[in-house]
Amino acid sequence: MGVRPEVRIPGRAFRPRSGLSARRSYVGYGFIAPAVIVLAALTLFPLGYNVWLSVQQRILTLPFENHAVGLANYVALAQDTQFWHDLLRTLMFTGISVFVELVLGMVLALVMSKEFRARAMVRVSILIPWAIPTAVSAMLWAMFFDPRTGFVDFFLGRVGLPGSHLVWFNSAFFAWIPIILSDMWKNTPFMALLLMAGLQSIPKELYESARIDGAGSWQAFWRVTIPLMQPVILVALIFRTLSALLVFDTVFVMTGGGPGTATTVVAYYNWYQFFTALNYGYGAAISVVITAVAMLMAFLYVRATVRQGGLFR
Amino acid sequence: MSQKKGKLVMAGLAVLSIGAMAVVSGAASPAKAYASAKPITLVFANDGLGTELSSTNVAVKEFEKLHPNIHIKVIVESANSTQAYQTLVTNLSSGSATPDVISADVTYPATFAASHWILPLNKYGFNLKTFYPGMVKSGEYRGKLYAIPWFINVEGLYYRTDLVKTPPKTFAQVLADAKRVLKSHPKMIGVAFEAQKYEGAVTVFQDIAGGFGGSFLNAKGKPVLNSAADIRALTWLNSLIKSKVSPASVTGWQEGNVQQAFTSGQAVFGFNWPYLYPLAEAKGTPTKGHTGFIAPPVSGSHSPVASLGGTDLVINKHTKYPKQAVMFVKFLTSKAIQTQRAVLAGDPPSRSDSYTPALYKQAPWFKQEKTVYKYATPRPVTPLYPQISAYIQTALSSVYSGQMSPKAALDQAQSEVVKLMGQTHGG
Amino acid sequence: MKNLWTKIGFVALVTAILVYSLLPFLWILRSSLESNKELAQATNSFLPSALTLTQYHGLFANQDFLRPLLNSLFIAGCATLIAVVLGAFAAYALARLPVKGRALVLGGVLLISFFPQVGMIGPLFLVFKKIQWINTYQSLIFPYLILCLPIVTWILTAFFSQIPAEIEEAAMVDGASILRTIWDCFVPLAMPGIFTAGILGFLLSWNDILFAISFIQTPNMYTVPMALVNFRNAFYIQYGQIDAGVVVASVPIALIVVLLQRRIESGLTAGAVKG
Repeated sequence: MGVRPEVRIPGRAFRPRSGLSARRSYVGYGFIAPAVIVLAALTLFPLGYNVWLSVQQRILTLPFENHAVGLANYVALAQDTQFWHDLLRTLMFTGISVFVELVLGMVLALVMSKEFRARAMVRVSILIPWAIPTAVSAMLWAMFFDPRTGFVDFFLGRVGLPGSHLVWFNSAFFAWIPIILSDMWKNTPFMALLLMAGLQSIPKELYESARIDGAGSWQAFWRVTIPLMQPVILVALIFRTLSALLVFDTVFVMTGGGPGTATTVVAYYNWYQFFTALNYGYGAAISVVITAVAMLMAFLYVRATVRQGGLFR
Repeated sequence: MSQKKGKLVMAGLAVLSIGAMAVVSGAASPAKAYASAKPITLVFANDGLGTELSSTNVAVKEFEKLHPNIHIKVIVESANSTQAYQTLVTNLSSGSATPDVISADVTYPATFAASHWILPLNKYGFNLKTFYPGMVKSGEYRGKLYAIPWFINVEGLYYRTDLVKTPPKTFAQVLADAKRVLKSHPKMIGVAFEAQKYEGAVTVFQDIAGGFGGSFLNAKGKPVLNSAADIRALTWLNSLIKSKVSPASVTGWQEGNVQQAFTSGQAVFGFNWPYLYPLAEAKGTPTKGHTGFIAPPVSGSHSPVASLGGTDLVINKHTKYPKQAVMFVKFLTSKAIQTQRAVLAGDPPSRSDSYTPALYKQAPWFKQEKTVYKYATPRPVTPLYPQISAYIQTALSSVYSGQMSPKAALDQAQSEVVKLMGQTHGG
Repeated sequence: MKNLWTKIGFVALVTAILVYSLLPFLWILRSSLESNKELAQATNSFLPSALTLTQYHGLFANQDFLRPLLNSLFIAGCATLIAVVLGAFAAYALARLPVKGRALVLGGVLLISFFPQVGMIGPLFLVFKKIQWINTYQSLIFPYLILCLPIVTWILTAFFSQIPAEIEEAAMVDGASILRTIWDCFVPLAMPGIFTAGILGFLLSWNDILFAISFIQTPNMYTVPMALVNFRNAFYIQYGQIDAGVVVASVPIALIVVLLQRRIESGLTAGAVKG
């Protein structure tokens, strides 16, 4: 998933300059229009089309049976136990991976904001996983866990631990471990960067006064760092939660939703309806639900960002 | 399904191509040069790579020589069967006039015919008397002929002739042989088979279910996935993993992994397609001279079932040149061209008269492969097959990973498929 | 004494971070340098007994990996170029010109950057099918705008607002046209920001697999991630070549990161907490 920079409008810093004539404002709209039109076309059109498709029967291999079905697809979705199981799994994945990424990201951020010799190297080495495509990182980790040639089973065997020759992807439970590790590997760096930027914005004096008050570094962390970082953490959390809920690439590459349906997540199930079942009506109903939930969460995110940065002042 | 994609590795066969050319040019085509005023271009969508592609190109060149006014443009489609299928659905459902001629996996013609995307071929005078009946059946839908078999592909059981003296016929014999060899060679793999969550696992399951007398759909086309025979079959496959006759890693395996296990000499038995034969018999391979290929095992008096892969040729309903397309299909499925392809690419001909002494001389393994063809059984011929297969894949994978019992998993698949076929009238 | 332990703990922590970040990559590099024969055996040592480049040779000779590399380069390049041009104009207006609803536009762009990809593939597939765009470059270039245009717009808005406006104002007072002013006075100063936004946009487009597997079906149009995934589904699996492919797909990205780390970090956090 992406890098949406946690962006905060640098609002107060730049206000339209008085030197420009107000008559030129039409130029401004002209400059903005192409980007806005492209983005609206790429989102509103699919959304509208999906809403329409979701009340149709539309199976590509049955072209003579297209017809309107009202809310039948949504009713079927409500009764589709597979979908609800997928949703539950997706939520569990999201909870675990986001929590672990937050903790780990915080550790990384604290380490990276210290001055030490290998600091530059650490910063580069954690940024590399961020830049590698998710699908490639999933392949990397899948091979890392391969029972025959992978590192993990080899290593476990070497040190005599159980788990060597474990076929990770044939276990409803263990298959999640490489998935979560791969997701963490790829996504923690961004979390860490956000948090690091937050750390740097905390005035040093606050720590000093905390020390004068007799607080140790652990106490200072809880009393100064965490409270002041709260808005940043919130934004980072919403951001990661949203992208974790839509996880697709890692599952697609590593397990194809298996074994059985043990790692099928909602985005994968949606894709499956479109491209394996070729059922565009039902797929559209799932898409509409996913889009609605994602947009709602994104709205919360934007609002949190705005609160923090004063978007609407 | 992936069986079509891969015979690209017939390294040894490339050497034979010159000899094959001689065979072909001697026997080739009676068709007269087609003298049409305007040159036309037929687009041929083809999913082979490597030696398959080059043998297609050889045949195309010959056809163009005979018909100077017909140019054939070969488009290569994905080796990934899901994608290849999507491509065809995409092209055909949009009503495009091209590709004109399409090579289609045996499971596709039913879907395409039901959707009226491909041309009924009854009136074009194809003579399919010498073609294998199982293959011909895969090209029929509701009594009409829609597809001409191009080459056959039948899944069978490979075994090591040096370790297993008499070829086993029953499930009990296979298991006993595997266990006996494992006792003296504990590092070997008893039975290598495809158990990943994908189409290849379904074909193996079809073989085994058939051996127990089971099937996916009954004669009336109603799903019978949770029949006693199917449950026994899945239980048997699962017990291979549970008893370590097959390593748990087979749950991540496709044909390529089974091939690797067998040709490296690590497997006693292996379920796979004919393409493996020449590879296992290639120079320097530990299995050279020790490879046998037999029909899948059975229980009791049941007759073996060998899953039918293979490729048909179909013609786009919207083609502008149906006559020329038919000529091209007739040419590709002619005895001479099929024999040529068998030698160049290792694709087993879909007509029995292509199996000539000349072929055996160049590729002796076809003799043993041929004995399995008579058990070839197509997967259900229904437009809903891709969805049905997806449910079966999930059921198999749930069982192999210990999440469900064979009965529970097949009960669930059965109820899903019943629901699916009830929702739509396409079944 | 306590200090020493803290130090050791810190070094251990840093080492653990480095190992976690780099080990998977190093392991696959190791596998990619093994011969097929060695790969067929179970791994039993940290280092392979002999190193060979045959997998890399096979990757380009047998799998034609160059083609997906060029495809990805072209598709991601075009998407980035379009996004940077559109985004730069929008960002200039948002940062400089007196437009109403600035906050609304920026909020909307941010909102859209979260639009789920999976909510687009169904409709876009049907439309692309109709207009025969399946298996074309444009079937990916346009959808990729949803991945990179919002971010590019945001980053550029943040960057542009930090560039002093006095020179432009002076030029405009002198009567220069707005485009002239932007080109002469603004673009040279904005280049570093545009470059940064471009890199991020490019990486995001390069990252995609969902659009690619939905709109691309023929091998000669595969993108890099898609080609790698499809190696695995081939009848004849060449593990070594997959390993080599993963390395080839990662090294240029890693190099970009090593060379441009500061820019990428600043882009990612542009306008963020500091502001």
